[in-house]
Amino acid sequence: MTNEPVILTHCLTKSYGAAEAVRALNLSVERNRITAFLGRNGAGKSTTIKMLLGMIRPTSGSGTLLGNQITDAEENRELRKRVAYVAEDKPLYGYMTVEQTIRFARSFYPDWRSDVEKKLLHDYELPLRRKVKALSKGMRTKLALLLAFARRPDLLILDEPSEGLDPVGIELLLQTLVVQAADGVSVFFSSHQIAEVERVADSVCILEKGCLLVDASLDHLRQSYRRIDLVLPTLVGEGEFLIPGVQRIQADGFHMSVFATNNAEAVVERAHGLNAISVEVSPVGLRDIFLETVREN
Amino acid sequence: MLWYKAWLETRARFLASLATLTIFCAVLVHHALYIACSNTFPCTEGWIRPGRQAEFYRLLLVTQEFLVFMWVLAVVLLGMGGIVREKALGTSSLTLSLPVSRTRLMRVRVGLGILEALALAVLPWATVFAISWIAKMPVLISQVGLYVLLLVGGGLVYFAMAVLVSSVVAGEYTAPALAVGVVLLGLIIFDAWLRRFNVWRLMTGDFSIDRDTYLLSGHLPWWGILASLSVAAVMLLASTLVVRRRDF
Repeated sequence: MTNEPVILTHCLTKSYGAAEAVRALNLSVERNRITAFLGRNGAGKSTTIKMLLGMIRPTSGSGTLLGNQITDAEENRELRKRVAYVAEDKPLYGYMTVEQTIRFARSFYPDWRSDVEKKLLHDYELPLRRKVKALSKGMRTKLALLLAFARRPDLLILDEPSEGLDPVGIELLLQTLVVQAADGVSVFFSSHQIAEVERVADSVCILEKGCLLVDASLDHLRQSYRRIDLVLPTLVGEGEFLIPGVQRIQADGFHMSVFATNNAEAVVERAHGLNAISVEVSPVGLRDIFLETVREN
Repeated sequence: MLWYKAWLETRARFLASLATLTIFCAVLVHHALYIACSNTFPCTEGWIRPGRQAEFYRLLLVTQEFLVFMWVLAVVLLGMGGIVREKALGTSSLTLSLPVSRTRLMRVRVGLGILEALALAVLPWATVFAISWIAKMPVLISQVGLYVLLLVGGGLVYFAMAVLVSSVVAGEYTAPALAVGVVLLGLIIFDAWLRRFNVWRLMTGDFSIDRDTYLLSGHLPWWGILASLSVAAVMLLASTLVVRRRDF
């Protein structure tokens, strides 16, 4: 096994007329990690995933998935044998029963694990003989997840996997993701549920308007992002804190809140230099990092 | 399993069409036999009465004319669906995530469609043969074979046209409406100005019938059949190219 990234894109772009859904994306997803792909609705997450899987042709740029060129039809077909994918809207054939759906999916993958299939059927309480069109949204999500988890892929790509699941289902999903990663499966998933991401992700990529704004490990983000709340003795202009690493400054009278992606020490030093009455440095959660990042842009 | 999926997707349309065409043919041939046998069924005298056979075969020609119309509508319906329609339904992501090329998806869909179209031609005519045999006035098996050959050989172009339309247009109603529109428009144009190249007349047997005996002669319009099949092949190739290049 090499250390080559499982997903690697170079200036990957998709345009629809004048609108650019994905702009010059340079993405690198490491092997054997859980990587979260965050972004607002319409940020370009699903378009990126569809380009990786050959469903959408990039306007320009290139990329590899598990070392295979995504734009080469034959290589893309080969890579799909090693990738399990759960799409955003959990597409399933409504005219098939649960049993038929599982039998259908199983026939394409020699890596199918019948023991896992049985376990998940039991855990998810899926009714084998019921038509998919008669399943609830949560049940459909569970079935879609079963089709992905019952395999032994090299890479799991999940687009909003927890959508439609109840808290118990979400808990089960998160546990399964961790187990999969421990088994050597690389996981790449998009989600709007930041709390879930924070619990399981090793790395985070944040996409906004088709551009990659953040690509870092969660530990690194936790260590470097800081909010510094200051109370100053006199009114000070925001310009005093425009130093490298500072992303946003909010001033309210003598109180100032500085959001720094790194270099918090320099902000603290500057505050002391201005005889700050109070300097409070606090770590920032992923939710705030995400909100500040997309707000800034 | 792709064949199984394609079968599940089309079976309702196929079985409904098959039942309609078979029942229609059974009723019509029963009626033809009843008239040809002086209002009796089964026929007690067989082919003895002069002119009876020609009258019966004339009614078989009429049966084929009606059958062509219904068969064309049926294969146009069978040609609907596919991955473009799946995109509208939201299931294309699942199909395209399978380790299967788009060309193979098309091949399976077209392959099953052709088999179903063949069955829609063979089974109604097999019913005609069976009923005529029960009535003791069996249709010549060669005539059954020729009618089936004309229906399929000439008519697959309509199936191919439907596949092409459904590879370009995704709408549940738009695609079949457009395909049926093309069928009707083609019928009018060819009947009005290009009668010698009218596929419809080729399929009904109008080009090959002996007007005295109402039997199909051995002189079939092979060039017409070949041209029709070639156009069908080009349309299917174009459909595959469209699907291969499309974004989903």
